[in-house]
Amino acid sequence: MDSELIPEGVQRCSLGKFILWISACGLVLAIGVYAMILCWLKGLNQTNMNDAYGFALWIWADLAIIALGGGAFFTGFLRYIIGIKELKNIINYAVLIGFICYSSALLILAIDIGQPLRGWFIFWHANVHSMLTEVAFCLSCYFAVLTIEYIPLVLENRKIDKIPFFHNLGHNMHEVMAVFAATGAFLSFFHQGSLGGVAGVLFGRPFGFREGVLIWPWTFFLFTWSAAACGPCFTILITKITEVATGKKLVKDNVIELLAKIAGWMLLTYIIAKLIDTWYWAAHTAPAMGFTFSQFYTSDPGSWYGYWILFLEVVLGGIVPALILVTRFGRTNKLALWIAITLACVGVCTNRWVMVLQVLAIPVMTFDGWFTYFPSWQEIATTILPVAYGAILISLSYRYLPVFPQERELNPLPGQEAETVEEQIEEEQEEPVGKLSPAAETA
Amino acid sequence: MEKGHNNTTTKRYGMVIDLDKCTGCGSCMVACMQENNVPFKKDETDKIKSITWLRVYKLNNGKPYPDTEICYLPRPCQHCSGVGDHGHSPCVSVCPATATDYGMDTGIVSQIYTRCFGCRYCMAACPYHVRYFNWWDPVWPKGMEKSLSPNVSVRMRGVVEKCSFCFHRYQLAMDRAFFEGRKEIEEHEYQTACTQACPSKSITFGDLNNPKHAVYELKQSPNAFRLLERLHTNTKVYYVSSKEWVRMAGDNYLKDEHKEMARAKG
Amino acid sequence: MKLSRRCFLSFAVGAAAGINLTPLPWKLTDDLSIWTQMWPWTPVPPDGEYTFENTVCTLCPGGCGISVRKVDQRAVKIEGMKEHPVNNGGICVLGASGLQYLYGPFRVESPMKRVGNRGEGKWKKISWERAIAEVSEKLGEIRASGSPEKIAVISGNREGTIAGLWKRFLNVYGSPNFMTPASIEDSYEAALYLMQGAKGSVGIDLENANFVLSFGAGLLEGWGSPVRMFQASVKVREKGKVIQFEPRLSNTAAKVDKWVPIIPGTEAALAMAIAHVIIREKRYVKNFVDTATSGFKAYQDIVIKDYSPEQVAEITGVPESLIVEIAREFAEASKPVAICGRGEGRIPGNVHEIMAVLALNALVGNINSEGGIWSVPKPGYINWPDPDLDENALAGLQKGRVDSAGSEQYPFAKSLLDLFPKMINEEKSYGIEALLVSNANPLFTMPDNESVRKAFSKIPCIISFSSFMDETAQFADLILPNHIYLERYEDVSTPCMFQKPMLSLAKPVVKPEHDTMHTGDVIIKLAAAIGGSIADAFAWDSYEACLKETLGNQWDVLKKQVVKVDYGFAPNPWAYESKTGKMEFVATAINKSPDSIIGIPHYEDNGIEGEAGNYILIPYDTMSLSTGYAASTPYMLKIVSDKVLYHEDTVIQVNPETALELGLNEGSYAVLATAVGEARVKVTLYDGIMPNVIAMPSGLGHTGYDDYMGNGKGVNINQVLGTVEDPVTGLNAAWGIRAKLTKA
Ligand SMILES: Nc1nc2c(c(=O)[nH]1)N[C@H]1C(S)=C(S)[C@@H](COP(=O)(O)OP(=O)(O)OC[C@H]3O[C@@H](n4cnc5c(=O)[nH]c(N)nc54)[C@H](O)[C@@H]3O)O[C@H]1N2
Ligand SMILES: Nc1nc2c(c(=O)[nH]1)N[C@H]1C(S)=C(S)[C@@H](COP(=O)(O)OP(=O)(O)OC[C@H]3O[C@@H](n4cnc5c(=O)[nH]c(N)nc54)[C@H](O)[C@@H]3O)O[C@H]1N2
Ligand code: SF4
Ligand code: SF4
Ligand code: SF4
Ligand code: SF4
Ligand code: SF4
Ligand SMILES: [Mo]
Repeated sequence: MDSELIPEGVQRCSLGKFILWISACGLVLAIGVYAMILCWLKGLNQTNMNDAYGFALWIWADLAIIALGGGAFFTGFLRYIIGIKELKNIINYAVLIGFICYSSALLILAIDIGQPLRGWFIFWHANVHSMLTEVAFCLSCYFAVLTIEYIPLVLENRKIDKIPFFHNLGHNMHEVMAVFAATGAFLSFFHQGSLGGVAGVLFGRPFGFREGVLIWPWTFFLFTWSAAACGPCFTILITKITEVATGKKLVKDNVIELLAKIAGWMLLTYIIAKLIDTWYWAAHTAPAMGFTFSQFYTSDPGSWYGYWILFLEVVLGGIVPALILVTRFGRTNKLALWIAITLACVGVCTNRWVMVLQVLAIPVMTFDGWFTYFPSWQEIATTILPVAYGAILISLSYRYLPVFPQERELNPLPGQEAETVEEQIEEEQEEPVGKLSPAAETA
Repeated sequence: MEKGHNNTTTKRYGMVIDLDKCTGCGSCMVACMQENNVPFKKDETDKIKSITWLRVYKLNNGKPYPDTEICYLPRPCQHCSGVGDHGHSPCVSVCPATATDYGMDTGIVSQIYTRCFGCRYCMAACPYHVRYFNWWDPVWPKGMEKSLSPNVSVRMRGVVEKCSFCFHRYQLAMDRAFFEGRKEIEEHEYQTACTQACPSKSITFGDLNNPKHAVYELKQSPNAFRLLERLHTNTKVYYVSSKEWVRMAGDNYLKDEHKEMARAKG
Repeated sequence: MKLSRRCFLSFAVGAAAGINLTPLPWKLTDDLSIWTQMWPWTPVPPDGEYTFENTVCTLCPGGCGISVRKVDQRAVKIEGMKEHPVNNGGICVLGASGLQYLYGPFRVESPMKRVGNRGEGKWKKISWERAIAEVSEKLGEIRASGSPEKIAVISGNREGTIAGLWKRFLNVYGSPNFMTPASIEDSYEAALYLMQGAKGSVGIDLENANFVLSFGAGLLEGWGSPVRMFQASVKVREKGKVIQFEPRLSNTAAKVDKWVPIIPGTEAALAMAIAHVIIREKRYVKNFVDTATSGFKAYQDIVIKDYSPEQVAEITGVPESLIVEIAREFAEASKPVAICGRGEGRIPGNVHEIMAVLALNALVGNINSEGGIWSVPKPGYINWPDPDLDENALAGLQKGRVDSAGSEQYPFAKSLLDLFPKMINEEKSYGIEALLVSNANPLFTMPDNESVRKAFSKIPCIISFSSFMDETAQFADLILPNHIYLERYEDVSTPCMFQKPMLSLAKPVVKPEHDTMHTGDVIIKLAAAIGGSIADAFAWDSYEACLKETLGNQWDVLKKQVVKVDYGFAPNPWAYESKTGKMEFVATAINKSPDSIIGIPHYEDNGIEGEAGNYILIPYDTMSLSTGYAASTPYMLKIVSDKVLYHEDTVIQVNPETALELGLNEGSYAVLATAVGEARVKVTLYDGIMPNVIAMPSGLGHTGYDDYMGNGKGVNINQVLGTVEDPVTGLNAAWGIRAKLTKA
């Protein structure tokens, strides 16, 4: 029924099956929306946040999805600024994932604030010294950029593209995309950084506070770095999941391996920096404030923040995937790659958790105890909402938009050769696929 | 450091709280709530969801019976001045909407309820837990809203509030002085509600920069200390205790430092 | 249509600018933010003219001066009155939150008549005319039936014109049954009477003392006049020392110079041992003992024989060396004073213990001298002409009291409210036909709640004068609500334990919020309605007229300055009102035979009630909970620790060692059982309490009032506490109760 809308030359599941899947996601989405409306109408008493845990699940989810969405800016940076051409085969998807992540992040922020109708005060009464101001500005600008990057893809829908206005609009947007991608990369560098700065500047919170470089705390750079490292891993992860779900190969191995390799080196260098930061802070910053390293990782009453979380974040979520990804074997072995990208995502999510929530859980005054909190169903539902929303948007995009340029080539329809496809994307003609051989890649 | 400030006209309002005198009776807390229209709910036993601008903490020396000792520590907003008294307090510096501000002329950290949009970043920044979020709509049992004071606005749901050093009392005193053709106010003209209520007179309030104010001398007691000085928050609430373990409880010390500090602090 | 890049860009920019140039988005966002600042459900307190009015707080026997800040006719804040002799500007939590009583929704807004079953909570509003007619008819009937003694009044006011009007009313009516909730003051007064023949109240010149031995007096938990005690203890500690004997590290114990844990109920033995050391080492003030006291020899013999520090260390758990050390320090101090004040909750206590403490004071010569314990004359400003009593009245008054106070068994007691339920339940006395409850809430405050309720159920008519829907009012048949303290006139005499005679005048600072009437006026109207000699005895037009006449020329002074203190007062230190004119170590009034020790201070192990259980339950008080006068306010409940009340549960304090024995942890639930009742409680581990002793907060577990005032929060300690009769006074002397504690 919707075959008119489906890109030519590709196979999609039946509409019935598709609707069933979308409905399932839609149900989860609906629960999330209901919880969200409850939060807006009744206020944040719908959550289990409290005065000690003023930031909680949502802020973590926000930071985590922005880090994971970092695949968009970093792949964009590599594709448009550095000019690594293979990556154009995954850039669409990276942008889509980024768009989902960032729109979700903004939505969560809009639920998370106590006075959503005054949210714009952050721009109107901006305090330029606040990391959150920087976050808000860069985040909204970058979201605009992502939207601009995503629109042309939408315009490439077979039906829409037939309308000359949209065709031309899409074409023009493609032309200027490098400018936006560059702007996006720049903006991302700052907001990923300022998200790191959110905890890093808290000089009243010894666990979060990290001595700075110029006007920025260390965490500013660490966050950008880790997002650049793990974002692409998430892009790969979602791509892989999509491949499993659709039962098709969608991106060629060389593209994936190249991105994985870059991510691996980023992750390795990041984790070295992270270790140095941890050491410096444990040996200098914290003792100067009267704290020992072990105080932050005790299993005191009320705390489950033992050393295990450090191990999870740094070793399992950092060193292990980095070592896998920088080796050729690791990248080419399917299972190893799966493990590595999953661990990298877990690692960065743990890092974001630690940097916002453990910071708040730790007692600072000597007569305070560890603070605990467990999210309410409303918080959990609204946090899962973006997952359902993401699944829906990905499904729609995959079904109706030419997200994966290599799909046709990799999955020729019976009796059809990839070359016989008439309509080719313009750029594809200019920059033929697979110019670099896997061997050349190591150079 | 203090001497440098003596000649300036800048005021730095602050408190000296004598923990030897404080009995933990809570009058200061209740006086503060009545003065500042602090809302309440049916169940206030969940202390991390209970707005108390001033909270009296119960400290103990951690020793078993019968060597146990306890001490009460009232904790209003510490009105942090930050390094060098430039107003770089943990909370002011982070608020994205400039809804909390440092008064350079008084040293008081203000909170603008109608500006605050409830992001709670300031709460994460404040190590003293003095900031409270209005998780609920402020509702008074039928009729009880009659006891609300017009001097302090009632806060709407979704914003952060905290101790203001009863700033409205400062404004009223300054207005009165202005009408009488004076530019400045006397020490007794501006006193906070908690100071006034305390039955054992544990709290002394005044301009820490003014040698004529009682706090000026009191804060120099060898038994005086501030909370978490090592974080460089530079607070304006001083505490005095003759007990070493209490003074030590004001900050975090490493094991080997502990003995040294104990000696240095008297 | 072909769209060039240039065209596209200008289109995009133009559209964005265009929309933003229209006022629409700006206007909308601005409106939205303004709306969030003025949500119609967020109250906006109206402004007006500011005034301050001084009056007296009568929420407790503290007698503090207060200053009420008003905006037009609205009271918005209560502050301590500056330069008031009692509180010097200070205020307690109860006083500071007094406006929550004034404006609370739990007030009785007009006279009410019960329509459902008793305690069911179904009421009908009636007019004041109806209410007074109904009560006077009822009382008239009972009187006409020839048994006027069958009415009783429970009055929270012990002194002053309200108490006076009630007593007068009962007198002309023909009932001897004027009862007041007992307190430690009753026992102090009894002890002072026994040892000195003094008829006044007790005053403690704490401000001038420099060494205080406190046998459990909660100087910082609300003992006596709370704000004054806070300030006085700071004063003492500035020049001397305070030592606290108590089984538990209370606030007082924590904030004084030394806490000495003691096995509960053994304070009298400790006082005797300290006396032992002082006498043995000849450290007492010989001059005073020789010339101004009698019976020293008998006392000395007992002290020396039975109370050596060695023997007493065994009883009290206080080390021998410490007893000796403290005794020496006490005797050497220039202005020492010993006080006791522990009570089971606020139970009057054992009179021999107070006598032991008074004897200790006598040894250091501070009875009626600076820094010591004084007897303060009762106020004498009420001089109404004696009423004419008709025959009916005279007959009724002959009948003896329902609570057995003043009987042969208990000649020293004026009122024994705690015995009242027992007399009714066990039918040891005549029944009561009508009970009038004014300014008291016995159904909440009296120990062994269940039996009180049972006794009250047997009374056919209960009339409450409460301003609030408290537990007793809930159980009444008729409520004739009084104005609350901020709305009415009332004379207030010397505050609890204050050392100088004092008179204050509480006056209305706001107009009555509801259709209430001053209980004084109600009494006058009732008398008029009943008529005859009763009406004749109340010749006043109104309570205000009565008060004005009573106070005479002091009215104007008090109206202006609120309080008048007889600063020049000092009791005579060497002459006493006893038969011998001396301070008697052996109270001749009760010591009828020479070998009896009943008139001599001593220790008896009789203050504990019940058999069940290995643990001793003691009640404790915290300033943030009001245990007597009315329920805790929302602001008080707000500051109460989560280690006292947690959600719906009372939290009890248990020593970690004891808890370990019982398999209890921090936050465990347990069942606390005594001979009187059972309660489910939560446990907190507290190092500051003796092993085997359990402390439970009083003041929780209300069922009247409303949810904001603590309904359903915690259990009322009186569900598990009982009473013990003091052999001399008959007052409740229980200081604890045996309890069983089991994991829930
Ligand atoms: N806020 C407020 N203040 C009040 C009042 C009020 O209602 N509210 N009421 C006023 C009145 S009427 C009175 S009578 C006073 C009463 O004031 P207090 O006499 O102080 O009464 P509590 O605080 O109940 O008891 C004092 C202490 O006795 C301890 N205790 C219990 N058993 C024993 C024992 O066996 N031995 C010893 N040594 N100690 C023991 C308890 O741990 C407690 O800490 O308070 C007055 N002040
Ligand atoms: N649980 C517990 N029981 C106790 C004690 C304890 O500490 N804990 N302490 C004992 C002691 S020391 C005492 S003195 C007694 C006190 O015992 P009660 O006098 O019986 O108890 P209160 O609650 O003080 O009584 C005051 C009542 O008067 C009413 N009231 C308050 N203000 C006004 C007013 O303005 N007008 C009118 N008409 N009514 C008013 C309120 O309804 C309040 O409940 O309790 C004794 N029993
Ligand atoms: S105590 Fe907290 S709220 Fe107050 S000034 Fe310091 S950081 Fe800010
Ligand atoms: S919660 Fe309000 S005051 Fe605090 S940082 Fe956010 S906007 Fe500023
Ligand atoms: S200074 Fe004022 S606002 Fe601050 S705690 Fe004291 S009474 Fe409350
Ligand atoms: S009012 Fe005074 S004594 Fe009471 S808790 Fe507050 S500071 Fe301490
Ligand atoms: S101590 Fe008693 S009299 Fe004084 S303010 Fe408190 S309740 Fe009122
Ligand atoms: Mo009492």
